[in-house]
Amino acid sequence: MPNLIGRATRRASVTAHMRNQAAAVMPATGRSRRTTLIAVSLLAATTALTACNSSGSGSSSAKTLTLWHYEAADSAMGLAWSQAVKDFEAAHPGVTVKVETKTFEQLQKTAPMVLNSSNAPDILEYNKGNATAGLLSKQGLLTDLTPQVTQYGWDKKLSSNIAVTSRYSNGTMGSGGWYGIPNYAEYAMVYYNVDLFNKYKVPVPKSFADFTTAMDTFVKAGITPLANAGAEYPAQQYLYDLALSKADPKWVTDYQINGKADFHDAAWSYAANTLTDWVKKGYIAKDSVSLKATDMGSTFESGKSPMMVSGSWWYGTFESEIKNFTWDTFLWPGSGLVPGSGGNLWVVPTKSKNKQLAYDFINTTLQKDVQDIIANKGAVPVAADPADVTDPKAKKLIQNYTTLAASNGLAYYPDWPVPGFYDTLTAATQDLINGKDSNSALGSLQTAYQQGRSQ
Amino acid sequence: MTVAGTAGPAQVASPDIARRESRRRRGKRVDRGYPLFLLPGAALFLVVIAVPFGMNVWISFNRWQGIGPMTWVGLGNYRRLLADSVFWSSFWHNVLLIVAMAVVPTMIGLVVAAALFDYLGKKFGPRTASVLRACLYLPQVMPLAVMGVVWGWILAPGNGVLNSALRDVGLGSLTHDWLGDPKSALYAIMAVMVWIQIGFPLVVFMAGLQRIDPVLYEAAELDGASWARRFRHVTVPQIRPEFYVVLLMCTIAALKAFAPIYVLTHGGPGYSTDIPSYFSYQNFFEKTQVGYGAATATVLALITLIITAVFISLQFRRRDEED
Repeated sequence: MPNLIGRATRRASVTAHMRNQAAAVMPATGRSRRTTLIAVSLLAATTALTACNSSGSGSSSAKTLTLWHYEAADSAMGLAWSQAVKDFEAAHPGVTVKVETKTFEQLQKTAPMVLNSSNAPDILEYNKGNATAGLLSKQGLLTDLTPQVTQYGWDKKLSSNIAVTSRYSNGTMGSGGWYGIPNYAEYAMVYYNVDLFNKYKVPVPKSFADFTTAMDTFVKAGITPLANAGAEYPAQQYLYDLALSKADPKWVTDYQINGKADFHDAAWSYAANTLTDWVKKGYIAKDSVSLKATDMGSTFESGKSPMMVSGSWWYGTFESEIKNFTWDTFLWPGSGLVPGSGGNLWVVPTKSKNKQLAYDFINTTLQKDVQDIIANKGAVPVAADPADVTDPKAKKLIQNYTTLAASNGLAYYPDWPVPGFYDTLTAATQDLINGKDSNSALGSLQTAYQQGRSQ
Repeated sequence: MTVAGTAGPAQVASPDIARRESRRRRGKRVDRGYPLFLLPGAALFLVVIAVPFGMNVWISFNRWQGIGPMTWVGLGNYRRLLADSVFWSSFWHNVLLIVAMAVVPTMIGLVVAAALFDYLGKKFGPRTASVLRACLYLPQVMPLAVMGVVWGWILAPGNGVLNSALRDVGLGSLTHDWLGDPKSALYAIMAVMVWIQIGFPLVVFMAGLQRIDPVLYEAAELDGASWARRFRHVTVPQIRPEFYVVLLMCTIAALKAFAPIYVLTHGGPGYSTDIPSYFSYQNFFEKTQVGYGAATATVLALITLIITAVFISLQFRRRDEED
């Protein structure tokens, strides 16, 4: 039986990831656009409501900073931000921060409408990516924070790799004005079961050859080395990880930003063939095709597979849920690039009534004490001091991030370049795992990529 | 029309004249008050169906991301649709889904209804039959999303309920990744849909059976007809109207099926369980190729309309023949 309880408890972290990864471009686009479709019919009602509200909120808001976010109160970000609110209120006597917790869905669906009204909050957390923050910036709904970035020195805290998702030029990320500031980052790594590694005398892989040798050892012992899930993002991250191991930063920029991907190039062909090969060799279970990300987590947590390649969003979950074995992580061996990016953004709506306070609040969230909370709760802060991080695992998580960020090693996520590419990637990787011809799978990716870019 | 037909001969010689006469008389009255009663329905139809459908057709002639400017592409989206192999294979999957959601449940429902009504009902009392009917109808009442999740666990690879059960009874060689293998995924979904759908034909048929004059059965029995022959020559012809209703409603349900695919497979593995409604949804909301998604939706709506028209005309023709 699949682990039912695990499913429920883990859903929070996985949802958090889904919105960070896949939703960054795809469903979010759909949602906000669908909203626009409905908007026409709702317009009259909205206008009426705004008219009623605008008279009341103007003067009283001078002492109130209205803030919206969608993190759970007990999550790393939730805890860190309640500390930030305390710090901020202490530093700004007479100012109250009115925190309104929204759901991710709620914000995705209503953001363009609400931000265009006088009900806009003063500051809010919003999803990074072209189809979300990019779209709002293009519509003129977000404040360009470039002057504040220089004034507060935020650019010194955020590496250029992380800043990619903060800067938008005509709605496209990568360059231009700063429209959002992230507090955290995320990246993919290999989680491994230390007990199983010891039992089978497998050393922690230092090179790609070590990695495959380790997997061979497990296969010989009748164990599937890699936990996988074909029906959701994990399988496509394996594919992307493999492609990245043969790629360079220019390849990533071409793929992610310039719209110049060639799915029949050396990197993608290698990735597709290797993935098929890994299934044949038993590194990845063939019957993982229909599994979801939570199932992959269960496979790793139950000790069935000694390794799992996925993002830092699993870190907190594993720390609280894995009790019966020791686990640790290493970066994908032999590759300078891994899937990852900056986290979701603080944005200031153009209609914010307290912009200066909003800027000050962003600055507060980037201070050491707030960032340290993020670190000690198992997430990756963008500006923490590793010396202040007490938990050794968290320390390693941050050190690895620092290494990657310094070398521009975060290669974003494979589904980012085109809205809805997530589904195409899922279908293609399922075909590959089922042993279909890699040329046709890559061909379908090329078609969908070009179709999406031409829209 | 049957009312006019039977009332006719008493007043005038030709039933045709009587029918026309009664229509004319009714027509006069209609002119006065009745159109008012049509207004709410017509307004709703206009707002909920006609205008959105018209907009959808309009959008399907454009390239549009859901916001921003539209680019007129004429029949471009439809040309692309004609050449899209994923779309056509999704249509084929929908045909199989019609088999699973309309044809098979209708047949099973008919046999089960007859057995419950004719045999179990008589032998164990109507209460037993009602309880069994309610049990079989249960899947129709439960939310599809919940059932999808539960069936996902049942059909899960490895330690899924079905595979575990197979192993327990010594059929370990039959274990399979039911939803992960493109060869079995659609059939697995079809099986789930049969289970879900049976309740609807069953309830309709049982209601229909109660309408049949018991005299017919008695006469057939006296003539020495077996249960099977009574079933074939009395039951089936008598509940023909119910057949049309059930088949039509189930076929339409199959054409607009979305939830089972969304919950169980997301159209995968690969595109092996993709269906037009899901295909349209993906283009509309996930790929934000709204024009293309609208073209798919328009084609799907037209096909549903055609099938409905065929069913209804068949039904009327049959009824006219019987009259």
